[in-house]
Amino acid sequence: MSTTLTPASPPETPTLPTSEKPSGRSPMAAHPALWLFPVPALVLYVTFFVIPTIQGVVYSVTDWDGFSPTAQFVGLDNFITIFTNDDLFRNAFSNNIKFMLVVVVFQTIFSLVLAVFLTRNSKSSVALRSIFFFPTILSSVSVAFIWKFIYDPNFGLINTVLDAVGLDQFQSAFLGNDAQAIYWVAITQVWFHVGQMMIIYIAGLQQIPQELYESAQTDGASRWQQFRHITLPMVAPATAIVMAYTTVQSFKAFDLILGLGGNPPKSSLDILSTRIYSGFANSQFGYAAAESLVFMALIASITWIQRRAVKATNPDV
Amino acid sequence: MSDQNSTLSRRRLLHGLGAVGLGGALSACVGPTITSRGSGSATGGAAAQVLPPVSDTPATGSVSFAHWRAEDKAVFDTLIASFVKANPKATVTQDISPSNDYQSTALQKIKGGTIGTAFVAFRGAQFVNMNKAGLYAGLGAQPFVDGYFAELIKAGQATSRAQMGLPYQLVFNMPIFNEDAFEAAGVGSVPTDWDGFLALCETLKSKGLTPIAWPGGEPANSGQLINSMAMNNMPTDTAFADIEAGTRKVTDDWFLAMLKQYQQLTPYFEANSTGTSSEPLQQLFASGKAGMLATGSFHIGAVRKLGAKFPIGLIAPITVAADKAKYEGIYNATFILGVNAAGTGQDAALKWVEFLSDPVNAAVYANGTSQHVTVKNVDYTNPDLKHNASWLAKKTLLAPRFQFTNLDIRAAVEAACVAVVGGTSPDQAAEKAQAVIDQKRK
Repeated sequence: MSTTLTPASPPETPTLPTSEKPSGRSPMAAHPALWLFPVPALVLYVTFFVIPTIQGVVYSVTDWDGFSPTAQFVGLDNFITIFTNDDLFRNAFSNNIKFMLVVVVFQTIFSLVLAVFLTRNSKSSVALRSIFFFPTILSSVSVAFIWKFIYDPNFGLINTVLDAVGLDQFQSAFLGNDAQAIYWVAITQVWFHVGQMMIIYIAGLQQIPQELYESAQTDGASRWQQFRHITLPMVAPATAIVMAYTTVQSFKAFDLILGLGGNPPKSSLDILSTRIYSGFANSQFGYAAAESLVFMALIASITWIQRRAVKATNPDV
Repeated sequence: MSDQNSTLSRRRLLHGLGAVGLGGALSACVGPTITSRGSGSATGGAAAQVLPPVSDTPATGSVSFAHWRAEDKAVFDTLIASFVKANPKATVTQDISPSNDYQSTALQKIKGGTIGTAFVAFRGAQFVNMNKAGLYAGLGAQPFVDGYFAELIKAGQATSRAQMGLPYQLVFNMPIFNEDAFEAAGVGSVPTDWDGFLALCETLKSKGLTPIAWPGGEPANSGQLINSMAMNNMPTDTAFADIEAGTRKVTDDWFLAMLKQYQQLTPYFEANSTGTSSEPLQQLFASGKAGMLATGSFHIGAVRKLGAKFPIGLIAPITVAADKAKYEGIYNATFILGVNAAGTGQDAALKWVEFLSDPVNAAVYANGTSQHVTVKNVDYTNPDLKHNASWLAKKTLLAPRFQFTNLDIRAAVEAACVAVVGGTSPDQAAEKAQAVIDQKRK
C-alpha cells in the first residue's frame, strides 16, 4: 500500500480589513485605545513611586515632624547637616560600606563557586542546589532569630562548639564586639542570599556553549585556564546582575539588622536604612526624607560605578 | 455608532494622562502646610479640645481602639465583650500595629481619623509629639479621672498640666530577682547602699550564679538599668531632660560617677554581656542560674512562661550611701489612653475609656496581662502582682530614660553605659556620647 504525501498547506494568515491595512502608521496611532493599556501600571507607578518620591523631595527641605499640620521651609539645611554635622549618618554610611564590601565580595565568589560545582543537572546537584537555596525562602526575621542564637556569646552555637573542642580562646562577643559586629551581620547576609545568587550564575553557566570547553581541552587548556578564559568572561553579564543586586540588597538589609540588633540598633550595627528609619521614628520626617534622598543618590552612584567597572573589564556586558 | 466616536482619540487620552499626572503632582503637596523660613515655629500644635463629661446613656456607634500590644488582644477581647454587653448599640474593634510600625504608620492613620477613635501612646517623645499635634482630646472634665492615682497619671498631662491622656499600665523598670536564690545565698534583705549591692553581687557570684543577667546587646532592654543606676546619682529628677536641653552634660561628674559604677558591675554581668540579648537571659533567670534580671517587671510574665516557679521580687541598685538615697526604685506609667480629637464617634470612645477606667475592668486587664495599672482600688489576684503590690506605695521615680524626647540622644547616653561595660573608659564613652548630643540637640 502506498501513501501519497502531499505538501502541508501553509497556515492561514488572518487578513486585516481593507480599512486597517498597514499603512506605515504605528498600531498605537491606528488604535488610540491601546494607550489605555499602560494606564493601570502607570497609575500604580505614579501612586507608589512618583508621588512618594515627590513628597520625599518636598519634605526634605522642611523641618516637618510627621504630626504637625505645618512645617517650616529650611532650604538645604537638612542636607548641609547630613554632610557636615551628623556623625551618626557618617557612622551608618561607614558601616554600610563595610557591610557592602564583605557581602558583595563573598556572596559573589561563593555563589559563583557553588554554581560552578552544581551546574550539571544531576540528582545530587539539584538536591544540593535546593539546600543552598533554602535560606533564601526564609523570612529575614526568621534568619535573624536563627543567627541571634548562633552568635549569642554565652549560649550560642559557635562559642559552645569552640568551648567543647577546647578552642575557647577564639570565642567572641560577636554582635557585642563593636569592631566586629557589622562583619558578623554581613556573614549572615551572605548565608541568607548566596543560594539566590547561585541560581543566577547557574543560569548563566548553562548558557555557555560546551564547544568552547571542548576546543579548549583540545588545545590543552587546564581546568583553571578554562575557568579563567571561558567561564569568567562568559558569566560577566550574570556577575553584573549579581553585583548590582547584592549592592542594592546590602543597603537595604534593614530587617536583618533590626532582627539581629534590635530597634533601634546600636551604632556599631546602624546602616543607612536603619538610620533613616530612626529619623522617622524620632519624628524628624523632614530630616529623614533628606537622608532618604542622599541614600537613593548613593545607591545609584555606587551601582553606576560598579557597572562601569564591570563594563571596563568586559565591554560586552 | 461610528468607529471614530467609539474609540478614544490619542489627544483626549493624553489629556487624561496629563490630568492624572497633574493630580499626582498636586496630591504630592498634600501634607503639612509649608511656611517660609523665619515665620515662627512650624510645630506649634493645635489648640487642645476638651471633651464634655461622659454621658450616662449607653454608648452607640463604633470605636476603633488603636494600640500596639498584640499580646493583650485576648484580654481586650474579653473586655470588649463586656463593654458591648453593657452597650448593645456599640462595637469596639482593635486596630493593632506592631510597636515598630506604630510610630511610622499607625499614627498617621490615627491623625487622619481612619483608625483610633480611642488610641494609646508611649510615654515620652511619642506622647509629646501626638499631643503637640492635637491628637488628644482633653479628658480633664471627666469624673473617672479621679479613679486614677493622681501621681501616676502625670505622664499624660500637657505642659499646661491639662490631663490629655491616661497612662494605664504601671510597670517597674528595675531589676527583678530570684528570692529563693537570694535566700539560698544567705541574703536576708535587699541592700540599701552601693557597697551592700556590690557585696550582694559578690555573694551570688561565689555561689556559682550569674549575679546580674543584663542584655547589653539589646539597646531597648539594656537601657532599662540606667533608670535605677541614675535615680540617686542625678543631681535633679529632671537631669536627663537637662542633658537634652543642653544645661547638663554627660561629661559632668555625676554622670561619670555612674559610668564608673557600671564599670564596677561588669564582673557581675554574664560574660560578653554587651552581645547578649534578653531571650537567653530570661531562660537563664527562669532556670535559677541568675540572681537578677536587669530589665523590668514586664518580663515576669515571660519568665513564668519559661517555667520559673520561685518567688520573684523587685530590686534596684542603690548607688549611694543609705542615708543619701532618695528613691527605692523606678516605675513607668505608659500605654497612655486617649480619645482622638480628629475622629468622629468621640462619645463612644470616651465611654470605652471610662469602661477601662473602672476598677473591676482594670483588674481584668491587670490580672490578665500580669501588669499593674494606674487605676485605684484594683483587686490584684495574679500572684506576682499581689507579691509586688507593696511597690505601689514605695518611693519610686518615674523612669528617667523616657525624659529624653530625642531617641538619638537617648541612644547615645545609654550606649555610653554599654561601652563602659565593653571596656571603654568612662571619660571616653562620655565624650563620645556628648559629641552626638551636641549634634542632635536643637
